[in-house]
Amino acid sequence: MNRINQDLIEQMASELQPVRPLKMRDGLLLVALAALASVLLVDVFVGLWAGVLQGQASAFFMITNGLLLVLGIASATSVVTMASPRVGNRHDVPKWTMAMAGVLPVAALITLAAQQSEAELLRDPYGLYCTGAALVASTLTASALLVWLRRGAPVSLNTAGLHLGVAAGALGSAAYGLACPIDGIVHLGVFHIAPVVIAGLVGRFAVPRLLRW
Amino acid sequence: MIADESTMAHLMALSQKGDKNAYTVLLSEASSWLQRYFRRKVPDAQLDDLVQEVLLAIHKKRASYDAARPFLPWMAAIARYRWIDHLRKVYRSQEDTLEDNDAFEDSDEEAVLARISLDRLFVHLSDKQAEVIELVKIEGHSIRDAARACGQTESSVKVNIHRGLKKLSALIEKAE
Repeated sequence: MNRINQDLIEQMASELQPVRPLKMRDGLLLVALAALASVLLVDVFVGLWAGVLQGQASAFFMITNGLLLVLGIASATSVVTMASPRVGNRHDVPKWTMAMAGVLPVAALITLAAQQSEAELLRDPYGLYCTGAALVASTLTASALLVWLRRGAPVSLNTAGLHLGVAAGALGSAAYGLACPIDGIVHLGVFHIAPVVIAGLVGRFAVPRLLRW
Repeated sequence: MIADESTMAHLMALSQKGDKNAYTVLLSEASSWLQRYFRRKVPDAQLDDLVQEVLLAIHKKRASYDAARPFLPWMAAIARYRWIDHLRKVYRSQEDTLEDNDAFEDSDEEAVLARISLDRLFVHLSDKQAEVIELVKIEGHSIRDAARACGQTESSVKVNIHRGLKKLSALIEKAE
């Protein structure tokens, strides 16, 4: 080994301080707390829909929010894993859950086309509000994941950004979804999935520069 | 003889707890391992700089190692990340040739090392991308010389380098 490397090693060793290793369990706990706090904030500011517990919610409501939750968990788990890099890590699960959730907007658009009522989308007075509110609800989870990744050593920056955005968008949309009483497939399939797409794009293109190290 | 996977994993776990002696041994072993890992993948004159960059990255990001998982794949991911970053920065080097005598020695860990090697990444590139990255970024030839040597236009060489490096950066954690 050359002298420069030896000097560098001695210097780093002399500065060594104990560190707390990143544990996947801690990362998942952080995300779970952020998602739970999002639901509580939605309850405080908007109020959760009581109809869910009274059996008034349609199957579409359950399916959409259930798929968003699964998508959010899968993507968030992928992000937490990325903080501890390793040759051999695979991050394929979110792709399949994204494809699964993608069925919803396709179903919504087919329904609209079959009923020849595409204008219904434009007439939905709550659509854009739901999308915006879900994006606001996603910020806590996004911040938690960003903090976790910046503590770690992500090496797949574009994928990390995309999965961070999708996870935050999906969990935020699921959290806000508990307050939205509009439970038709068209509203849910378009305006409750749109936050995932928007957050995913923001994550993919804006987050990598925040992760570079 | 470089320490094996389990020894390095143990040394890293001790280092995370603040054991300076273990850390000195670990970094020395890591330095030797990285010298071999990068040989033939950067010009000799840049090898020490790159090894130092990776050692600093290991130091800065040591909390990201999970002691429940293997050490070498973690270090290799960081090494690949720094290597691709290094290739992006390097446009021209005075070094022209690299010797072809530095493969890892046979050992029980040969299969593991094969999975995490840098050569593994190149099989995912097109022949044209791999060829121009080798010529320009690793061997240090100019764009013009590379274009002449491989029969591509200078624009094609630039595009293939750009696309190839982008692809490599998406494959850092890929093992097969």
